[in-house]
Amino acid sequence: MTKTKKDKTVAPERQVLAALLSREAKGIRTASRLTALSALLWVPQAALVASVFSRLLTGAGGVSVLVGSLGFLALAALRLALSYLAEGLLFRAGQSIVTHTRQEILDREAKSVGPSAFGGPGALAALACEKLDALLPYITRYAPAQARVKTVPLVILALAFWHSWAVGVVLLIAGPLIPVFMALVGYAAKEASERQMSEIGTLNDLLVDRLAALADMRLLGATPRVIAQFETAANDLRARTMAVLRVAFLSSTVLELFAALGVAMVAVWVGFSLLGELSWGAYGAGLTPWAGMFLLLLSPDYFQPLRDLSAAWHDKAAGLAVAKDLSAWQGATSTPLLGTGAVTGPLPGPVQITLAGVSAKRGPRLITYPDLTIAPGARIALSGPSGAGKTTLLRLIAGLEHPASGKITVAGQPLNAESADAWRARLGWMPQAPMFLGRSLRHNITFGAALTSDVIATAALEDVLETLPKGDLTLLGETGGGLSGGEARRVMLARALAAHPDVVLADEPTADLDRDTADRITEGLMALAARGATLIVATHDPVLIARMDQVVDIQPEDRPLDAEATQ
Amino acid sequence: MTALWRIFTLMVKGETKSLLRGLLLSTLVLMMGAALLGLSGWFITAASAAGLIGAGAVFDVFRPSAMVRFLAIGRTATRYGERILTHDATLRALTRLRVALLSRVAARSYDRLIRLRGAQALNRIVADVDALDGVPLRLFLPLIAGAVTQIVACAMIAWLVDPRVGLAIFGLFTIGGAGVLVWGLRRAQTPSRRMEAAAQAFRSRLIDLITGREDLAVYGQLTTQTEITRTAELRRQSAATDTDHLERQIGAALMAVSALAGGAALWIGGHLAEMGEISPARAAIGFFAALALMETLAPLRRAVAEIGRMIGAARRVSEQLGHEVASAAQPVPEGPADLVFSGVSFARNAGTRRVIDGFDLTVAPGEWVALKGPSGVGKTTVLLLGAGALSPLEGQVRLCGQPVTQCSPGSVTLVGQRASLLRGTVAENLRIVAPEADDDALWAALAVVALDDVVRDKGGLSMQLGPRGAGLSGGEARRLVLARAVLRKPLVLLLDEPTEGLDHATSLKVLAGIRAALPNTGVLMAAHRAEEQGASDRILTLG
Repeated sequence: MTKTKKDKTVAPERQVLAALLSREAKGIRTASRLTALSALLWVPQAALVASVFSRLLTGAGGVSVLVGSLGFLALAALRLALSYLAEGLLFRAGQSIVTHTRQEILDREAKSVGPSAFGGPGALAALACEKLDALLPYITRYAPAQARVKTVPLVILALAFWHSWAVGVVLLIAGPLIPVFMALVGYAAKEASERQMSEIGTLNDLLVDRLAALADMRLLGATPRVIAQFETAANDLRARTMAVLRVAFLSSTVLELFAALGVAMVAVWVGFSLLGELSWGAYGAGLTPWAGMFLLLLSPDYFQPLRDLSAAWHDKAAGLAVAKDLSAWQGATSTPLLGTGAVTGPLPGPVQITLAGVSAKRGPRLITYPDLTIAPGARIALSGPSGAGKTTLLRLIAGLEHPASGKITVAGQPLNAESADAWRARLGWMPQAPMFLGRSLRHNITFGAALTSDVIATAALEDVLETLPKGDLTLLGETGGGLSGGEARRVMLARALAAHPDVVLADEPTADLDRDTADRITEGLMALAARGATLIVATHDPVLIARMDQVVDIQPEDRPLDAEATQ
Repeated sequence: MTALWRIFTLMVKGETKSLLRGLLLSTLVLMMGAALLGLSGWFITAASAAGLIGAGAVFDVFRPSAMVRFLAIGRTATRYGERILTHDATLRALTRLRVALLSRVAARSYDRLIRLRGAQALNRIVADVDALDGVPLRLFLPLIAGAVTQIVACAMIAWLVDPRVGLAIFGLFTIGGAGVLVWGLRRAQTPSRRMEAAAQAFRSRLIDLITGREDLAVYGQLTTQTEITRTAELRRQSAATDTDHLERQIGAALMAVSALAGGAALWIGGHLAEMGEISPARAAIGFFAALALMETLAPLRRAVAEIGRMIGAARRVSEQLGHEVASAAQPVPEGPADLVFSGVSFARNAGTRRVIDGFDLTVAPGEWVALKGPSGVGKTTVLLLGAGALSPLEGQVRLCGQPVTQCSPGSVTLVGQRASLLRGTVAENLRIVAPEADDDALWAALAVVALDDVVRDKGGLSMQLGPRGAGLSGGEARRLVLARAVLRKPLVLLLDEPTEGLDHATSLKVLAGIRAALPNTGVLMAAHRAEEQGASDRILTLG
């Protein structure tokens, strides 16, 4: 097909934009035609008004004031109805495109794991929220303005030439200059919009990061500096926004100037002709008062669609900038999650875990893991230096990461997209860095189920709940702000307990804790083990290691190592 | 509306001059527009009248046509100036609002600050402030400029055409415009507030989803979180549809008002001309000016559609700004930098068990004091009290004889248990406390905590750290945070289990390094490790 060949030369953002618009092409086309029709109704309105004045001046022909006024109003009502209809169609089309794209982002991000190459949560949220909203003006304004430009000026130009070649020539010369100029401005506008868009994302990411650290910045006495940095960034964004606006305003000013000069020239020529001072430019008996007034009323509307298009040109630039971001997001590789992350019935059978020839990519390195069989109820410590791949192994077992090679078997089934959700229904998970949803503490532990006293007791949460302002209904910061490190870990333990897991995966559960708190966590894990759960714990803590049945040493070298038993 | 007006005056306060100039220019633009069309209409009609009676030669064409050209070009230039002035002033005012909001958030009590949800605060500072740009640009400035223009136009048309035409145009525009405004205000608030609330919920939930997706996946909650995020979007969508519906109705009503004004001007003026009371040329002035005056109503459409969003944002923002920031910190007086706790008591919530009761301690310059005791006995609380992050229920904490809460920030520095690093380079993380420090000073601070080799291996001071210090191991992050505190050169350094996660040799090196780097700094630390207790001059057991 020739089309695919052609596509290669088109910039990716244009392809993205075209693909987006094609979803609602029909609605947009119909609406565009309606707006053009509504704009063209000005022609009979102008003719009526000219008739009224012509009759007032000459005392003959034309229409009476009453008929003219009523006709003017009737046509205005018709225009109003048409544009009301067209705007509705355009809004629905735009809304559908934006919503669909937003869902697409939501769905893909919900099925990915690991950091995105596109940016942090702030940047992704900015793309899915305000940036996508910037597509709406493009969709609702640009296409209809284009349709009007293709019809309205041509009709008015024909009418102008019909009555006076001079007016026709003035319009013909002034009109096409506008798109030429706009094309030049368009490039500058697009560049400025892109810079502004990237600045918005950067500012949001900066804010999310700094807001999370504000409490610590206070203790460091660095708050004024953080605020000053933000002020600088915010001022940069303001300057970029102003740069975009300046281009936009300048171009619309130039346009307006062309339009104003064109109209003024028509007005002056019409005035002189009517006075009889000029005898060229019209045909036959010269210009009638009716034709003079008619032409004057029409000429601003000759330029109006061009001005609308130029205004929409900046919407297009913004739309292209968003599309560029979107295509960057589409192009950013993301690791898909195994399964969907939904609640499902647990995988049946004893929870034996087997690793055979498993290796994983971690940046440029390939980590090779020892072949391993973990029996149900085993207590395994993964030890080894930082960066050896302990966390990655836990993530592999949880189905959060794909092995580069080898096979992981869980409960007698290969760990794959089909089995992952059911497998995870049997897991408890304690990440090293606790994360909290913007909901109550209780919801963060049980995800909507009742919080039992057994869970509270085993995780030693009583005193934590007692000191929080609203107990288990307290809203916490994203990283567990409001809790100490040990308390946040105990909440993670409680969350694992509440899931009644058969296998618990814990990443450094006692790191950075004092012995006392570490012991409480250890006891909680042991309580889980006593209920028959398999424990797989990545840890450096000798006390915790001592409570395990088996230590698997993970070494950073990419060669297989033997599992060694210590007990 | 009162919330909007308050925000408007707040925005005006910093940018009075440019906004006033902008207002003047936008009024001028509207007036010039009306004058231009009115004059053109008069010119054509009068010229054809003169042509018809053969008086073309005596008709003064030069002054009107020069005036038409002047108005056409002048209006264009004025509009450019007006747009630049008002937008720049508005953006400046918004930036100031953002910075003020962040300052207020940062000035919250430590207790509230640690429970701060970034996404929510982000909504305030980004989305809410963004929503406020319409307050001057699309609401108050056009409203004032439009009203002034209407009054002037009414007087001019009454003088040049006929009072009846002037009053008809003025009445239709003002009554119609005000009617649409009031009607829209009443109906638009709910859907646009719903829309904004849903959009913010979507944003918060999406950020939660992305940051927590792995935990959510393991616990089978990912699809649920996706669904509630989607629900927020659906709610936004339905509210947006309502808002659009209303916006279009308002647009149609405003168009109807304009058409009625034009029709009325044509009918009354034309009728008067038919009766011979005024000339057709004067009737044309009224009609053409009415066409131009449509411009005074145009901005109201978006203003009304956005009004609910603006009011909600204005309420939230002014509520935030309403919290007065505590008086500025005072410089620490000269003299020995003793940190003194005298009779300090503290309870997490009023009425609950006291964590600390009647605590006395003096930390002298250069002295190292270790606090030990079982977990939960209040070691961290003592440190937070010492840093002025918590206020004691009874008693006082003073530095150099002055309440520690009033000391300039950083004179007492606390390094908490959880390392909080920023996204950015190692150098940026260090310079956050010492903006003027040169690279040598940064390397020296890293050497103090035995981190210089690690940083050199990982790419030097320009090594990029991910969110929350990702890229460094736990122990390395811990040492970087300590290096930052050292660079701060505090009078008193409070450390919460500073060597947790470090091996024996490194712990000793780090503690000795800090002591050598800050010989005159008093150190109070919550210590449970032998290395930490061994490095101290005295040990205080709590509980």
